[in-house]
Amino acid sequence: MESVIFNIKRFDGERTWNQEYRLPRETNTLLGCLVRIREEQDPTLNFTSACRHAICGSCAVQVNGNAYLACETQLDALLETFETTTLYLEPLNNLPVVRDLVVDFDGLGEKVKKVSGWLEERADRCDHMQSQEEFHLISKPADCVLCGSCVSECRELAYDDGTYLPPAVMNKAYRFERDSRDGSRGARVLAALQNNLWKCIHCQQCTTKCPKHIPIAEEISYLRREALRMGEKDSSGARHAYSFYDDVKKTGLLNETMLALRTEGMVKTAANRTPFAIRMVAAGKMNPLHMPKPVAGIESVRKLYEFSRRNDKEARHV
Amino acid sequence: MSKKLRYAFFPGCTLESAAGELKIATELTCEKLGIKLDEIEGWTCCGAAQIQDIDDFLGVAINARNIALAEAAGHDKILTVCNTCTLMLRTAKKRLDEDEKLRAKVNEALAESGLEYKGTCEITHYLWALVEDVGLEALKAQVKTPLSDLSVANFYGCHILMPPDVMGFENPRNPHSMELVAEALGARNVDFEQRLACCGFHAIYPAEREAMLSNGVSCLTARDAGADCLVTPCPLCHMALDMWQADAQKHYDADITMPVLHLPQLVGLALGFAPKEMAVNRHLVKPTRMLEKKLARA
Repeated sequence: MESVIFNIKRFDGERTWNQEYRLPRETNTLLGCLVRIREEQDPTLNFTSACRHAICGSCAVQVNGNAYLACETQLDALLETFETTTLYLEPLNNLPVVRDLVVDFDGLGEKVKKVSGWLEERADRCDHMQSQEEFHLISKPADCVLCGSCVSECRELAYDDGTYLPPAVMNKAYRFERDSRDGSRGARVLAALQNNLWKCIHCQQCTTKCPKHIPIAEEISYLRREALRMGEKDSSGARHAYSFYDDVKKTGLLNETMLALRTEGMVKTAANRTPFAIRMVAAGKMNPLHMPKPVAGIESVRKLYEFSRRNDKEARHV
Repeated sequence: MSKKLRYAFFPGCTLESAAGELKIATELTCEKLGIKLDEIEGWTCCGAAQIQDIDDFLGVAINARNIALAEAAGHDKILTVCNTCTLMLRTAKKRLDEDEKLRAKVNEALAESGLEYKGTCEITHYLWALVEDVGLEALKAQVKTPLSDLSVANFYGCHILMPPDVMGFENPRNPHSMELVAEALGARNVDFEQRLACCGFHAIYPAEREAMLSNGVSCLTARDAGADCLVTPCPLCHMALDMWQADAQKHYDADITMPVLHLPQLVGLALGFAPKEMAVNRHLVKPTRMLEKKLARA
């Protein structure tokens, strides 16, 4: 019978090494395979799991560099995806490793506290009734099981200095920000803003790898829009977004020559970007005299702006 | 390829300025491959993963307009050469096709200018068109200068793969299209750790340090794997990796120098164009001499 090699990254608190285990290829989940290895081959192998039904969120690990919830992932699907019979298992990225495939979630919990990831009941409500539409705003984000897959995949977190909020925490902020029963409107947006909300790269890893299919990148966009509605406009992230917004209205096209200047301001641009600008002009990449002309039919673009302004109905509450 | 391929061409803003060389390479290679590109008249910026952070409706509406212009010109497929443009256009299309209320609202806005989004136009990327429409065998048959001495490290970029319910061309956990195209062109693919990394472009001002660190690793791991150059299907990845490479270097003691090619430039070299015809001399990390040497041996 064909066998599958599980090459697992081990850690005993001091030492890191890779250890190989073999199992016959069979219909099983990834968690089933890990349990079998521990029960039949190596009782020292550490991993966490509980519900086996994708509800508790405790069994996420990396397989060939991608986060998976082990209990809901079929071995056959992995072998098919990676076209191999050797799987490399590692603990989740961007979280401290305790032992083998076990990571420490305490830091994540502390970050959830930063955005008050719980319901702050509205004082003026006499009950907790929600309309169907109100519930639909939070039903998807409420599916989060805090498994850490998005934390592991976040490309910003990989090089962050520890201040950025992981996608799972952004999801918590969004979930309660949009809850019609919540009374602390705006506080979580400010908390996200104070923790580098504009550093999200929109890489879409969180949305793609979430086992519950929560569109976290879209939620982060919502938090940004909400921050702008609350008056945030002075950070480089906000100015950067407005450069695109204003340019498209003006000519339809981005004016790349002015982008750094408008994002960072004259002083910072002059101090930091002069060598960059010289390199760009010298290579013919940037023509400081080039100003995009309005595209054909620019009036129709401006009408869209006007229409959207007249119809801005992205409601905090339905 | 039985009949001549024809697309509505959506260049995207970078092709009009910093990535002018990509427009040259795209147009020349398409012409050589017998593909007709009709640039969409009046196209605008796709929003570049920025405008939706200010106005969600507008982010969809400007792309509905872009697609409507292509539809009105009688096209059934738009071709882009930028990952993010592809994602923005496809996101708008998916939302408009799946949400009748949104579509009605957007069409109400477009009607003020006599336009209508019908949903009859697909959106593809140059990379996908090579694999799906041209076909790898047909591409291989057109190769004049097999790139047999060139080792390439393929840097996909995020938005050509994710989110898969919008993009859906291949599995984002283990894609193959770039390797298949490079193989058809005769090049050697090298595997490297950052093949599916992010270039950091969309937050390169607020998170510059992080992008520089990541891009430094991308260059270093490509070098360690023996690559002569990185190749990317996205001009934004190209900008982050090439234009900012000198800034990424400041974070590393080891030499990270790594030329970066646009995918259509790689195609062009194999179709017999000289490096300078593909305007590779416009890059900040000059690949010209390396390519001339490699091609001379081919």
